[in-house]
Amino acid sequence: MSKHHWQSFGELNNSDAYKQSVNDEFQEQLPTEVDDKGFLEAKHPRRDFLKFLGFSTAAAAVAASCEMPVKKAIPFANKPEDIVPGNSVNYATTYIQDGDAVSVLAKVRDGRPIKIEGNDLSPITKGGTSARVQASVLDLYDTARLRFPTIDGNEAKLEDIDKAVASAIAGLGSAPITILTSTIVSPTTKDVIAQFIAKHPGSKHVVYDAVSYSGILLANEATYGKKAIPSYRFDNAKIIVSLSADFLGTWLSPIEFSKQYAIGKKLDEKKPEMSKHIHFESVASLTGSNADERFLHRPSETGAIAVALLAAISGQSISGIADAKLKEAIEKTAKELSAKKGEALVVAGSNDKNIQIVVNAINEALQAGGKTIDWSATYNTKAGIDADFAKLVDDMNAGSVGGLLIFGANPVYSWFESKKFVDGLTKVKLTVSFNGKADETTQLCKYVVPSHHYLESWGDAEIKTGYFSLLQPTINPLFKTRQFQDSLLSWSGSNSDYLTLLKGYWSSKVGGETGWDKALQDGVINPANTTLAGATFGSASVSAATAAIGSYKKVTTTELYLYQKVAIGAGEGTANPWLQEMPDPVTKATWDNYLVVSPAMAKTLLKIDLTNNGQADAYEVKPPKHVVSITANGVTVKLPTLIIPGTHPDTVGIALGYGRAKELGKSVFNDEAGIPVGSNVFPYASLVNGTVSFSVNEVKLADTGDKFPVALTQTHNIYNTAQGNRTEVMKELTLAEYKAHPTEILEEREAEVKPYGGLANYQAQGTIYPNSMNDRPGIKWGLNVDLNTCTGCGACVVACTAENNVAIVGKPEVLRGHEMQWLRIDRYYSGSDLENPKVVFQPLMCQHCDNAPCENVCPVAATNHSSEGLNQMTYNRCIGTRYCANNCPYKVRRFNWADYTGADSFQDNQEGIVNDVVLNMSDDLTRMVLNPDVTVRSRGVIEKCSFCVQRLQSAKLTAKKESRPMVDSDIKVACQQACPTNAISFGNVNDKKSLITVTRQDNPNRLFLSLEQLHVLPNVTYLAKVRNIEEEEKAAEKKEEKKSEKKEA
Amino acid sequence: MHLKYESQLREPLVNGNKDYHQVTEDILRPIEAKPTKLWYLGFYIAVCLLMFGVYSVYREVTYGIGQWNLNKTIGWGWDITNFVWWVGIGHAGTLISAVLLLFRQGWRTGVNRAAEAMTIFAVMCAGQFPIFHMGRVWMAFFVMPYPNSRGPLWVNFNSPLLWDVFAISTYFTVSLLFWYSGLIPDFATIRDRATTKLRQKLYGTAAFGWTGSTKHWQRHESLSLVLAGLSTPLVLSVHTIVSFDFATSVIPGWHTTIFPPYFVAGAIFSGFAMVQSLLLIVRKVFDLEDYITLGHIEAMNKVIVLTGSVVGIAYLTELFMGWYSQNKYEGYTFWYSRAYLFSPYGWSYWGMMACNVISPQIFWFRKMRRNVYVTFFMSIIVNIGMWFERFVIIVTSLYRDYLPSSWSVYYSPTTWEIGFYLGTFGLFFTCFFLFSKYFPVIAVAEIKYVLKITGDNYKEQMSKVEVLPTEEFAHEYAH
Repeated sequence: MSKHHWQSFGELNNSDAYKQSVNDEFQEQLPTEVDDKGFLEAKHPRRDFLKFLGFSTAAAAVAASCEMPVKKAIPFANKPEDIVPGNSVNYATTYIQDGDAVSVLAKVRDGRPIKIEGNDLSPITKGGTSARVQASVLDLYDTARLRFPTIDGNEAKLEDIDKAVASAIAGLGSAPITILTSTIVSPTTKDVIAQFIAKHPGSKHVVYDAVSYSGILLANEATYGKKAIPSYRFDNAKIIVSLSADFLGTWLSPIEFSKQYAIGKKLDEKKPEMSKHIHFESVASLTGSNADERFLHRPSETGAIAVALLAAISGQSISGIADAKLKEAIEKTAKELSAKKGEALVVAGSNDKNIQIVVNAINEALQAGGKTIDWSATYNTKAGIDADFAKLVDDMNAGSVGGLLIFGANPVYSWFESKKFVDGLTKVKLTVSFNGKADETTQLCKYVVPSHHYLESWGDAEIKTGYFSLLQPTINPLFKTRQFQDSLLSWSGSNSDYLTLLKGYWSSKVGGETGWDKALQDGVINPANTTLAGATFGSASVSAATAAIGSYKKVTTTELYLYQKVAIGAGEGTANPWLQEMPDPVTKATWDNYLVVSPAMAKTLLKIDLTNNGQADAYEVKPPKHVVSITANGVTVKLPTLIIPGTHPDTVGIALGYGRAKELGKSVFNDEAGIPVGSNVFPYASLVNGTVSFSVNEVKLADTGDKFPVALTQTHNIYNTAQGNRTEVMKELTLAEYKAHPTEILEEREAEVKPYGGLANYQAQGTIYPNSMNDRPGIKWGLNVDLNTCTGCGACVVACTAENNVAIVGKPEVLRGHEMQWLRIDRYYSGSDLENPKVVFQPLMCQHCDNAPCENVCPVAATNHSSEGLNQMTYNRCIGTRYCANNCPYKVRRFNWADYTGADSFQDNQEGIVNDVVLNMSDDLTRMVLNPDVTVRSRGVIEKCSFCVQRLQSAKLTAKKESRPMVDSDIKVACQQACPTNAISFGNVNDKKSLITVTRQDNPNRLFLSLEQLHVLPNVTYLAKVRNIEEEEKAAEKKEEKKSEKKEA
Repeated sequence: MHLKYESQLREPLVNGNKDYHQVTEDILRPIEAKPTKLWYLGFYIAVCLLMFGVYSVYREVTYGIGQWNLNKTIGWGWDITNFVWWVGIGHAGTLISAVLLLFRQGWRTGVNRAAEAMTIFAVMCAGQFPIFHMGRVWMAFFVMPYPNSRGPLWVNFNSPLLWDVFAISTYFTVSLLFWYSGLIPDFATIRDRATTKLRQKLYGTAAFGWTGSTKHWQRHESLSLVLAGLSTPLVLSVHTIVSFDFATSVIPGWHTTIFPPYFVAGAIFSGFAMVQSLLLIVRKVFDLEDYITLGHIEAMNKVIVLTGSVVGIAYLTELFMGWYSQNKYEGYTFWYSRAYLFSPYGWSYWGMMACNVISPQIFWFRKMRRNVYVTFFMSIIVNIGMWFERFVIIVTSLYRDYLPSSWSVYYSPTTWEIGFYLGTFGLFFTCFFLFSKYFPVIAVAEIKYVLKITGDNYKEQMSKVEVLPTEEFAHEYAH
């Protein structure tokens, strides 16, 4: 018996299969073996499954993952000594545009300017800015800027151009060269021009302003012997009368005037006195909307009103005013003016020399000189004389101009006889433009040597006599541009460059290198002595002017008045998307110009009766507006029509500055429709008595039956509806009412919250939650807006856009109610007179409610409350249900309806969805303006005012680093900083000394919260608007009488 | 459960002398036969609509909510209108299956299966809107309270939108279970009758091994009762919570305490109308007029006229409160934005009034209640009216709220907004067509319960039973 133990029959029998199995450790064939059919036909056994699964998953993941585009940030190879990445530095410089000059600070972050602030050291603007100043930083990064010099449209080297121009100048022979510029405020630039003229004898310098102040200049020459504009002191005036001068919006020096105006309008609750502003105008303007009393008249009556006013002040009877209401207004105004001699100021916006002479006579009669009018410092910002330019155009056509060097002027667009200028230009042998963009005039010039943007330039400005402001570059020139002064110097054969000249000029004046450095750091050089001065008045021309005005034709047809918009001006803001999208303060329209008509004219012209609820609704809710053709002076333009109360029934208005050339950028031209944004209405203007007149007679209007959409951001204009006066939204009263009954608003508030135990117990009793929830020790942020000083100018709106990277959405999106601005200015009409209502502006940003209705409805807690009282928005938590926006009673929350910023995780999803303007905002160049401290929001999330939380954080950090408590001066939110009237105060409410606490404490009677009765407990407060109106005084007296009667009874 | 006496005076719930076999044959015929051309056509149209909806949603997800015409003032429009509308429709099913079961309403057996299916599909459609109305739908999972590494960061339990998430998902789950548990005996029947292997296998799996034993039946009955008990409060809670989306806000026109009962009544109203629309077609197409009788239709019409009047009273109460509260914002919303015919949205309010309050009053007349054509027409009108109601509540409250400065420009839907709505119709009918082809549209087993006591046959036989005259009965009784 064998002892062999076997395990299987195979082993026992020692079969072949057994032998093989003993030999082959791996009995199966290798799974990846490829048979002769080739790899593709190979079987894929089980083991491969995991491999294939792994590979395909990885491949799919790589191929399909939402790969974000890689954007490289390149660090400094050698870090410059004075640059700390992530820290911003402010450089003092000067905003210069077509003669306007404002001292500013440019906030430079990592080598690029991103924000403009006012320069507090400037005694003129005192840190104030305007919408245009705020927006100017975006112009630096404008993709439509000229990037290199050209000859006949072809890129050329500077040396070649220099040579070509030199030989061209040499070839001109005796025919003189004319340098055509907008007003030059820079003394050194004037030197440079003088050098050029000296080098090229016979040449001259002509100043051209699109909207000139020739009338004032010539009138002052006639009456004061000085061809200059004096400083106006609205702060010294107890009564201000303006004849169509939009001094808070566009006239002369609006930031300065707003600052001064606010001083007179600021109300001390203990001594309630304020200045009175009476406004005469034809088309509703920002200034007219702010006036205590506004009277409407035809543009052609301006002269007659001035004459009548002069007569009334002199104690004579009024003649030549047919309208009884107007006559009464003039008499009343004259009476008030006469009562405040030495504290009165009359200004007129007219460009008519005769009218300005009469106005000068009025001011003289009111003893304004040396008090409200200061001749010690005169403006250098407006020097253009229309007649000079008209003569140049004639000379050009006569062929007597050999060369034309154009800087900052664009007469092809803005001169009313554009064709004549263009014809003349063809007869000029040498044409050079230094303009930074391919505007209408530059396109027609042979040589184009683009100059720097002001943020890239050196320079100086003498804004008023003795008030200097310096420019320094804040960034290397982005393109192959050369500063105008350098070009001119090199063509004058000078060896030195402009910087050397500038430094030389100033070093000697301010005490060498140190003095220069100090001046550059401050940005301004101010006069030591600022006593007000008058000037000797020569009355010789007054009677002639009066007689001339008397002979003006009485117009009975419809009149047209061409005005400037606050944001757009005479076209300076058209190419800037921030300004285009800023709602016009008066009309709340964006992205267009339009015909402004009164409700009375709407009734006859458009058959729309605003007193009819249904018709008013139909007009308001649908963006397409009636298109009307306007024919005058042989020009016909078709424009959509807006009905704006505060416009004379026989007058229509159109804004200048629109209808620009395509080359100026995406914001001026609607590529899809193939039409410019708005229409150019400069051709309606005409030369009257040697000055350009923007008021047009004999206007024919016809409803074309077509409609064209106008993008309005606010369609409903009154807060007292038929169902009840919504006084919780907005509170206003007259000075007389206030004096008679100072606690009126307090009592109104008390009545509103009476069901919740009155104001004292309101916070606690309006909620079921324990009141301790509202205890916020430490910091609690608060903001206050004084509606009395707010003029509604919109500087804060643009400042907020710039600071917080607020997206531009373009006209089609504004039309759909998709605008993104975090801060808006609501404009309401009040009063019973539909044709000429009172206007009130209410800036509205997130109210940062302590009992916020938005916070409890968010399913994912993306919006919540900070321990400092901020209503916070967490973008990356937001899923976009929009419930918070629905539940916000103030409607301040904004939703990203599309990928406006290019920040979306989906690529290429903007084309065809947003328009070119918005696409252009995501261009690499334009994006340089973004503030790195603020997240760029992507599609699908809600955003809103954050109280500039990035500034709050940095203020707290600064204080912490210096181991001290935070103080007021550490922090200014963007809207507050931009405001030219200091209407906005902000700070820590728990700090007893902070501006916000003091403001609230000092104004207990005017303080109110919008929609207070909802118990949302906002952290934004308002001070009620007080108007200095007489008519209401009577009403108040009556009220008082009634009350006393009741008491007696 | 159905062992009860039913008066002979009541009309039979099943007509036409059916026996058990015939019932099975009649109801299962569409499942076992090839679909008709009409079915294919309808299914094709439904799938087309669904695809259009998918494309509309694709655009919205890719390009943003800007594909819809909502704006800074009107943050919700067609999206949430459609959501509430579909959720409302989804109410009738559970009401019929649960509440009527508890109330022992025998007539429910003819309609409950289809009504429950409708509920489930309607809730599926409704769910699309809150999901895809989100600006960042890919972050939708944020609404789920799951442990996470962000703090952890939880959802906001104060938000009515979050309550919606729970309410609707619960409702959907319970409805689905209820529906499915009812289907199990019927699946077993189909399995047992199957002539192909595949059918046997599929329905066999779906039937969970049902053998029809007494134990099975006993458990089935218990489960039905438990689920009915669970669903009954849900019928009330879901729309109550949906109404909280509005009622807890501060917006005039939303901030009202009347909303929960008013929304529930409206939901039942629209749900029954939708059941009518669907069943009138089903009974005709599948030849089921014997099972879904005029009696059924009349019963549902009675519910419609009742609930329609309830919402009517709610509308009038709102108007009254708008005046009586002397709240100027409410007054404006109710009396101007809504009730004033010539205000921008006056037409939608009066459309709602005409469809929901005035026209259903026709059902006070028996003749009208029993008229198939009138019923069908009215069921469509009611659903249009209920859509208007939600539109009125959402849009007319939002477009003019507190600050006149923010009053909105005209809101009208874009193609993609409408496309999304049509797409949910596509989804609904695609599901419903598949349901009608593969599932018994009437509960076979349950019909058989009622056949014995309320069938035509039974009633006829009962009438033949000798009945004693009253005097004789009294005489006998006296002994």
